[in-house]
Amino acid sequence: MTQLEPQGQRPDGLSRRGFLQISALAGTAVGLAGHAAYAEGQIGYWAMDLPDEKLRGMLRTILRIRWHERTMADKMLTDPAYRAYNHFYAGQEAVATGVCAALRNDGPFEQIDLVYSTHRPSGHALAKGVDMKLMQAEMDFRATGLNGGYAAEMHIADPSVGFMGADGMIGPGHVIATGSAFAFRARGSDQVSVVFGGDGTYATPHFHSALNNARMLDLPFIYVLENNLYHQYAHYSYSCPHTDIADAARAYGIPSRVVDGQDVFQVYNAAKEAVERARSGGGPTFIEAKTYRYYNHWGAPGAEAGKLGAFGYDPLAITSIRPERELRSWMQRDPVDIARATLIDWGVLDAAAADALEEEVKAEVAEAFAWAAEQPLCKPEDGLRHVFAEGEVLPRHIA
Amino acid sequence: MTVKNWMYAVLEAVQGEMRADPAMTWIFELTPPVASNPGMPVINLETEFGRKRVVNTGIDENWMASAVIGAGLAGSRSATYIPYQGAGMPFQVIQNHAGKLRHMTGGKASLPVVFVMEMTGQTPGFAGQHSDYEIDSTYMHIPGVRTVIPSTPYDAKGMMVAALRSPDPVVYLYPAGLRMLSEEVPDEQYEVSLDTAAVRMEGSDLTIVGSGGGMPDVLEAARRLTDEGMSVEVIDLRVLKQMDTETLVKSVAKTKRLLAVDQTYYTLGPAAEVVARCAENVQGARFKRLAFPDAPPPASPEMFNWMRPDADRIVAAARAAV
Repeated sequence: MTQLEPQGQRPDGLSRRGFLQISALAGTAVGLAGHAAYAEGQIGYWAMDLPDEKLRGMLRTILRIRWHERTMADKMLTDPAYRAYNHFYAGQEAVATGVCAALRNDGPFEQIDLVYSTHRPSGHALAKGVDMKLMQAEMDFRATGLNGGYAAEMHIADPSVGFMGADGMIGPGHVIATGSAFAFRARGSDQVSVVFGGDGTYATPHFHSALNNARMLDLPFIYVLENNLYHQYAHYSYSCPHTDIADAARAYGIPSRVVDGQDVFQVYNAAKEAVERARSGGGPTFIEAKTYRYYNHWGAPGAEAGKLGAFGYDPLAITSIRPERELRSWMQRDPVDIARATLIDWGVLDAAAADALEEEVKAEVAEAFAWAAEQPLCKPEDGLRHVFAEGEVLPRHIA
Repeated sequence: MTVKNWMYAVLEAVQGEMRADPAMTWIFELTPPVASNPGMPVINLETEFGRKRVVNTGIDENWMASAVIGAGLAGSRSATYIPYQGAGMPFQVIQNHAGKLRHMTGGKASLPVVFVMEMTGQTPGFAGQHSDYEIDSTYMHIPGVRTVIPSTPYDAKGMMVAALRSPDPVVYLYPAGLRMLSEEVPDEQYEVSLDTAAVRMEGSDLTIVGSGGGMPDVLEAARRLTDEGMSVEVIDLRVLKQMDTETLVKSVAKTKRLLAVDQTYYTLGPAAEVVARCAENVQGARFKRLAFPDAPPPASPEMFNWMRPDADRIVAAARAAV
């Protein structure tokens, strides 16, 4: 399913003011509330109302993520000396971009919104404002990388922009993120805590714990579930009985939206609504973004240099191979194309300006990879540092 | 007798037990119970036994471990394969239920179940959560759970058969780094004891004790030391609970020198237990431990590889000890 159907009922959790705005926009009378004229993601005009510069910035972010992904894939496929790896995010760029565009990403740590990421973190990191050069150096195990070479892809973190980190585990991050939201509420802050998770999280006990506690305490917490249909190599129908995982969140009493994760502006609208609810003390929101990843679970098996997406065989999938036609059909609704076409349609930029923006981004990405490749490798003995705030642990591997 | 790889040897054991016992179940996530081997039929437990008995779950290791406990309590032998990413998640039910139920019920509860726990720790680059090698210490500490760690395909099959037939819950540690090993493995079902360590080399100058994923480095070091003229005795622990004290003590009483090697963290690893048991029982011996430092594994291969107690480190420690 790539196109979202309008809901047959009034969407949950819509504020009265928001609802009236939509009704007015849609030309419907309040009495027809049972028949929303908009798909859920088109809940407001907020994205349409953003300044041109902000909208161009969203397209730029999508392009930065996409070209970082493609450059990474090409390096992995063509350069045997290249050691970095990736859980590719290509295909899902609109989700990270749309959500983070609605967050507070600059300012003192005590005021910015926090994002907890997954094992597929590069898109979330770039969208939240992590420096691409530093991130790439970290992914390439460099001493001057974002986390000094301790993290690599699966643990990149930059609290200074509210990017609290990737996580190699499925589940615990969601509960931890509610803890940050709990602290915000306790200290009277209007900050918001956001967690990204995949469809595989539904099966974990953590999914349910996070939602129940966030609802019981009315925490300023947003759960962004990127439903890309597969957790690792298994289709989500193996582990979740719902077509829309948002149905499960509704059962916890949490206002929930299903949005087209390929359309950055739909995602933004839902995130904007969720952020306003959280900041004003209205509690948590659940957003399910329907999306798709263009590569396999891990690395670039099945991909070809210079081509987007992995169509070939992934030996790690063993017996669960996703259909090639599924990937091809999702690529027909590419988040880059949708964002670009929408902005051209809105008159924010023309095709020539969009092309120029993309060339600019490609140059920036190439420079980031080149810079990272020149950075120094780690000193072996530094592995004994950063275990505690001070000092080093002893080298027990040496007689 | 055929040369078989590790995964094939393990699944052959499971397949044999499941054919013999139509009640037995297998629960997995991520790692399908499928193995192939040159000249042998492909093993696919899911297609052979069907999805009622062989279940591909969501990412919920707590359920996987709890479900085999419940199946065992209901009288069905049951096993689950927990991939290394999730090996800490089911700790609570193994520690507080599987390990205690027989004792707490005065012997009435029986748990013929196996928790296959995949371990990594030999792979640089994956950092903290995916390069760790620590659950041997964690699980061997629990009373009431037999904790074993094979290091060869032959033992992997024989100990799996024994574990599945055991009336006790077994944590079967599965070092992912050994998955590519191959050796002659019998086609029929056989058991390798869940009680004894293996003496891999006999010698009189020094006893080196290792286990699981650390054994290839221990054996490599022992070969190099032998070439230098040292007489080295090598013991592969195989069983962490209940640890085979007798084999250890007998060896150290002879060599009077012990080098215990862990891939896990230094504090409270199997090597600490080995040294303690030998110190209690052997007079006048000298002891040395090598282990991964008490630090999470960093991503950088430069840092990570330096921190591993590899063959070079073991050789150097052995030279210093003799």
